[in-house]
Amino acid sequence: MTNTIQILSIEKTGKENSLRKEYNNKSIKIIDGYFFSTNLDDQKFTKISKLISNDVSQTILTKKNVNNVLSSYSNFNWVVEIKFLPGVTDNIATTVKEIIKDNLKSSFKSFELGSTKIILIKGRKEDITKISKNEANPLIQTIKIYPFKKYLNNFKKNQFKIEKVKLPKKKYSKKEINLDISDHQLSLIGKLGIEENDKSRRGTLGLDLESLKAIRNYFSTIKRKPTDVEIETLAQTWSEHCKHKIFSAKIDDIHEGIFKKYIKGATEKIIQLRKDNFCVSLFTDNAGGIEFNKDWIICHKVETHNTPSALDPFGGAITGIVGVNRDCLGFGKGAKPIANTYAYYLADPNKNYQLYRQKNNKDPMLPANFIAKGIISGVRVGGNCSGIPTPQGNVYFDDRFAGKPLVFCGTVGIIPKKIKGKLSHKKKANPGDIILMAGGRVGKDGIHGATFSSEELDPNSPVSAVQIGDPITQKKMSDVIIRELRDENLYSSITDNGAGGLSSSIGEMAKESGGFIVNLEKIPLKYKGLYPWEIWVSESQERMTLAVPPQNVKKVIKIFNARGVEATIIGKFIKKEKAIVKYNKTEILNLDMEFLHEGYPKLNLKTSFPKIKKEKKKIIKKSSLINKLHKLLSSPNIVSKEFIATQYDHEVQATSIIKPLQGEGRVFGNATAIKPLFYDEKSIALSQAAYPQYAETNPYDMAGCSIDTAYKNLIVSGANSKKIAILDNFCWCSSDEPDRLYQLKEAAKACYDYAVAYQTPFISGKDSMFNDFKGFDKTGKSVKISIPPTLLISSIGVVDKISHLTKITPDDGDILLVLGATRNELQDSVYSKIIGYEKSKNPVVNSKDTLRTYRNFEKANKLGIINSAIGIDLGGIGIAVAKMAISSKKGLTIDLKLKNKISVDQFLFSETQSRILVSIKKNNLANFKKIFKTSDCTIIGKCTGSDVIEFKDNKKIMRSKISDFAKSYKQNIKGL
Amino acid sequence: MNVLVLSGYGINCENETLHAFEVVGFKGKIIHINDLIQNPKQLNNYQVFAIPGGFSYGDDTGSGNAMAKKIMTNLYDQLTDFSLKDKLIIGICNGCQILINLGLVPSLNKKDPEVALIENKSGNYECRWVDVKVSNNKSPWLENISTLNLPVAHQEGQFLIPINLLKSIKANNLISLQYIDHHKKLAKGQFPFNPNGSKDDIAALTNQNGNVLAMMPHPERAFYHYHIPNWQSKTLKKFGDGYKIFMNAKKFFA
Repeated sequence: MTNTIQILSIEKTGKENSLRKEYNNKSIKIIDGYFFSTNLDDQKFTKISKLISNDVSQTILTKKNVNNVLSSYSNFNWVVEIKFLPGVTDNIATTVKEIIKDNLKSSFKSFELGSTKIILIKGRKEDITKISKNEANPLIQTIKIYPFKKYLNNFKKNQFKIEKVKLPKKKYSKKEINLDISDHQLSLIGKLGIEENDKSRRGTLGLDLESLKAIRNYFSTIKRKPTDVEIETLAQTWSEHCKHKIFSAKIDDIHEGIFKKYIKGATEKIIQLRKDNFCVSLFTDNAGGIEFNKDWIICHKVETHNTPSALDPFGGAITGIVGVNRDCLGFGKGAKPIANTYAYYLADPNKNYQLYRQKNNKDPMLPANFIAKGIISGVRVGGNCSGIPTPQGNVYFDDRFAGKPLVFCGTVGIIPKKIKGKLSHKKKANPGDIILMAGGRVGKDGIHGATFSSEELDPNSPVSAVQIGDPITQKKMSDVIIRELRDENLYSSITDNGAGGLSSSIGEMAKESGGFIVNLEKIPLKYKGLYPWEIWVSESQERMTLAVPPQNVKKVIKIFNARGVEATIIGKFIKKEKAIVKYNKTEILNLDMEFLHEGYPKLNLKTSFPKIKKEKKKIIKKSSLINKLHKLLSSPNIVSKEFIATQYDHEVQATSIIKPLQGEGRVFGNATAIKPLFYDEKSIALSQAAYPQYAETNPYDMAGCSIDTAYKNLIVSGANSKKIAILDNFCWCSSDEPDRLYQLKEAAKACYDYAVAYQTPFISGKDSMFNDFKGFDKTGKSVKISIPPTLLISSIGVVDKISHLTKITPDDGDILLVLGATRNELQDSVYSKIIGYEKSKNPVVNSKDTLRTYRNFEKANKLGIINSAIGIDLGGIGIAVAKMAISSKKGLTIDLKLKNKISVDQFLFSETQSRILVSIKKNNLANFKKIFKTSDCTIIGKCTGSDVIEFKDNKKIMRSKISDFAKSYKQNIKGL
Repeated sequence: MNVLVLSGYGINCENETLHAFEVVGFKGKIIHINDLIQNPKQLNNYQVFAIPGGFSYGDDTGSGNAMAKKIMTNLYDQLTDFSLKDKLIIGICNGCQILINLGLVPSLNKKDPEVALIENKSGNYECRWVDVKVSNNKSPWLENISTLNLPVAHQEGQFLIPINLLKSIKANNLISLQYIDHHKKLAKGQFPFNPNGSKDDIAALTNQNGNVLAMMPHPERAFYHYHIPNWQSKTLKKFGDGYKIFMNAKKFFA
C-alpha cells in the first residue's frame, strides 16, 4: 500500500544539468512525484506507475528500492518538496488522471492527485534555501525543506500528503447589500470588497465612490437593494480593464475622449480617404480584421498580462498567450490562430532590486531574473503546446520595469470571408439561442482579475488573482470549433471568457440579442464550495461561450464530447434587454442591459504639462570607434535574442517564410513573415516597436517613432504599403495624475497624426493604465516605481509576392546606401546610455520626407533592384552595418564622408528615424538613383566580401573582424 | 494511395503533413484518435499511417507517453498488423516519440519500448535547422537520399539506447538518420549540429522491415524551397529536402 508514485530519470536530465551548473553542486537529483488522495494497492501501484513512466530511461521508486537507488547517486542530506497550492491549475496531474481513466477505465472511482517536484541535494541548508527560492514561487506553490532521512521515513510510512481545496461548507442564501451608508463605508466596499457576515472582506472591487453612488441611485429608482452578485457583476463590467474609462473619458476639451478622437478617429478618417475593402472588422470584436486576399480575412490582437506576470511570471505569461489565442478564436465566427507575437519589457535580470510589498522586508517582489525566465518559458510552453508558431518578438530592459514587467502577447488569426454563404466576421446571438460554455471547468482562479488589473500593485492586491493556462485543453477545444463546428454554421455567435469570466462574455454577447438568463448551478466546477458570485466572475481559463440555436445544441455537445471536451448548457439569450442570473431558481441578478453597460459615471480628466526630466549630461568616455561598437552590440537592448527564438517553435504549421534569425550569421530580425495558405503566394509580415526610453522627453515624438518603426519594418520586409494595419497597446503609469495624462494625450494625438499621414489604420488595441509599484526598499523606505509610458505598436501587413520579400544579407560588390537623412538625434539613445552624450536632440519623425523614402523603396523593391535591406533603429547606422555584416558573414567598407557638420559618432549612432540601410548591385546604381531623386539617399560604402568591417575616416582606417563583432552581438545576457 | 493522418489531444502538425502527402499524389484524411478507436477497421482503407508532430497531452509524463499508452490500450494489435503488412508508417517528432514509446520501432524484442527519448542535453527546447545523413538504405522512406537539411523542434529528442540494444540496432542497420556537421561528417554529439546530444548522433530509427520510420526532424516543414532558411540567397528548385521523403512513399506504392 502506498499513496505516492515517484519516478526519477536514470541519466542526468537537462534541468538537473542546468541546476548543477547554476549552483555549482554536483549532487542534485530531481524526482517527479505524484501524491494520491487514496492508498494504492500493489496491483494498482504497478499498473499506474508503468503507465506514467518509461522503463528505459526512468526508475520507479518503491519502499524496497528507494534507499539503494538514491544512495547510488549521492549521499543526499536535504530534500526540497515543491507542490502546487490547493486550487492552482496542475496540468501534469490532469494528464495523469486522464491516462489512468483512459487505460484503467472502471477500476477507479474517484480520487485526487497532485504532481510534485522533489529535489534531492547534498549541501548546506543555507544553499538549499537559496535554491528553493529560485525554483519555486510561494504564491502558487508550497515549498518544504526537510532532511533526507525524514524523506525516507515519509516514503516508508506513506506520509506524503496532497492538500485538497477545502472550502467551508456553506449554503448560499441570497445576500442583499445596503448601500444607504456613509460615503466612507461606501468607499470601503469599493476598495476592500463586500463585507461577509464574519466582517471579513471579499477583496477589492476597484469601484470608486462615484460608481458606487451611481449604483445606489439605480437601485433606489427600481426600489430595491442590490444583491452581492449584482455589485460584483457591475464591478467587473465597469472595470478599467473592460470599459477603458480613461480612454473614453472627457479629457480637457476633448469631449469624446482620446479613443474616439484619436484612435478610432484616425481609422475612420483613413477609411473615408481610402475607399477600399481593406478594413473588415475594427474595434468591435475580440480582434481587428483586415482583408488578406479575395477569400480570406486575417485578424490580429495584442494583449498585456502585466500584473499577473509580476506575481507569477510563468502562469501570467502562459495565460497571456493562450488568452490572446482565444481572442482570435472569438473573432467573427472563429479565426484559426496562425502566429503568436511577444514583447517583454523587463528589469535588468542581473540586478537585485530587493523590493517589498510590505514593510520590514515582508512580501518580497520576485527577483528580476526569476520574472524574466518565468515569462520567457510561460510563452514558450503556451505557444509550443498549442501548435501556433511564435516568430515575432522582442525584449527590452530598463530599471524602471523593476516594479512591474510588461508582457505583451499577440496572435494573428485567419478565417474564410464567407462560411456557407454568410459573412464570417458577422455574428449575432439570437433570442432563444442556448448559451453553451465549452472547455475547462470553473474554480476560484483569477477571482477579481479584471478589477485588480485596474489598481496599482499594493499590499492589498489579492493573490488569488493568478491563473495558469492549460494549452492542451484549449487546443482540444479550439480544434473542435475551427474544424468541426464553424464551417457547418452550427452556432450563431461566439466569444472568449477572459477578464471578468462569464459575467463579461455573456454580458457582451447579450447585446446582440437583447438580454440573457443564466442558471449558475448548471456550471461545472473544479471543486465544490464556490459562491454564486465567484462562479459568475471566475477567470478560469480555456473556456469559450457560444450562442447555439436550440436545434443544434445536441449535435454540438456531442461533437465536443467526442473530442474529450466538456460543453454545458448554462442558459439562454432573450430579446428583453435584461440581464438575469439565477442560482437554484432564486433570482440573484436582474439588471437593465443599458445600466449594466452604460450606467457607469463618465470620468472628467484634466491634464497638465509635466516637468521634463532631462537626461543627465554624461561625458563621453574616450574609447575607439571599434570599442564603442562592441559595447553597443553587447548591450542588453541590442544583443541577439537568439536564445528566445530557438526555444519558440516558429516553424510549426509550415508557414515560416522569413524567420526570426536571419542570414548564415543568424541576426535577430526586426520583422518576420509567414505564408499562411499553401496555394497563395501572399505572405503576412509582422513587426512591432516601442520606445519607452523616449517617452519622458517627448511623448508625442515617442509615439511617432513607434508608429514609424513598426510601419517601416514592414515596408523594408516587402509589404504592400496599402495593406498595412497597426495595433496600439498603451501601457501607462499613474493615470490619475494630470502630467501622466498629458503624456497620454500627446501620445494619442501622435497616433492620429502619423496613422492618418501613413494611411495605416488602427484595427485593434488595448490599454493598461496603472503600471506602478508601491512598496518598500530593503531599508523599509517607501518607494514608488512607475514604468516609463510605453506604447507598443504592432504592425501587420500583406506581402503580395514571394519575390517582394527582402533579405538583410548583401553580396560581394554591392553598394551600400542609407535612405533618409541622418540628424544629430542622440538624446535617449542606446549610445547616450552606454557611452555618454553631450548636447543632442530626441528623434522626431517628419512624415512627409519619410513617406517619400518609403514609397521610393517600395518601387525599387518591386522592380527587384534592392539586393538587401535592414531598418535602422537602436544604435543607428553603426549597428545596422554590423548586423548586415554579421548576418551575411561578408565584410563591408564604410566611408565616413560626413555632411551637415555631423561628427563620426553622431553619424554612426544617432537614432534618427525612418532610415533604411540597403545594398544594391553596382549595375543598378543609375536606376536606383533615378528612383531616389525625390528623397534623401547617401552612398556610404560597399560589400567587400572580406572578413572585416572597415571604417574610413579620411585617411584613418579602423577595422575589426566580423567574427569578433559576432561574438559581442551573441553574448549571453547576464542573469538569464 | 491513401494516407491516414492522426490527430487529437495536442497533435498539431496534421494539416501540413497531410498537405505534403497530397502534393505528391496521395489521397488522405485527418482522423481523430477517438474516431479511430471507435472504428479501427477503417485502417484497412489506408496504405500509409502518419503520426504528425505536436504536443500530445502537453508532453506530461514524458513526450509521447500518454498517447502511446492510449494507443497501446485501444489500438495496439491493429497498428501492429498494419506494420507487418506491405504498408508504411511514419512518426514525425511527437509522432516519433509515440512510435518509440509504443515499441513499434526498433521492435527487435516486441511490445515493450526498448528505446527512450529523453530531454535535450541543453535542457532547452530547440527549434533549429540541422543536416542529417541517411545512414543506410533499409527504409523505403529514405531510398536514394544521401543527406537532408531539415528543421527540428523539440524538448525531448535525445535517443537513449541501452548498450547491448545499440549493438543489435547497428548490426541490423536500424539507424536511419544521423546528425552531421558542415563538412558532412558525423556531428559526434557537438551542439548545435547535434541539437539534443543524441547517442551516435541518431535522428531517426526504423524497424526491421524498414517500413516504419520514427524521425525527430520535420520533413513537412522543409517541403517548399521557401521553407529553407535564407532561401533568397540560394539557387533552389521548387521543393525542399522534405519533399523527397514523401515522394519515396509515393514511389513505394507506384
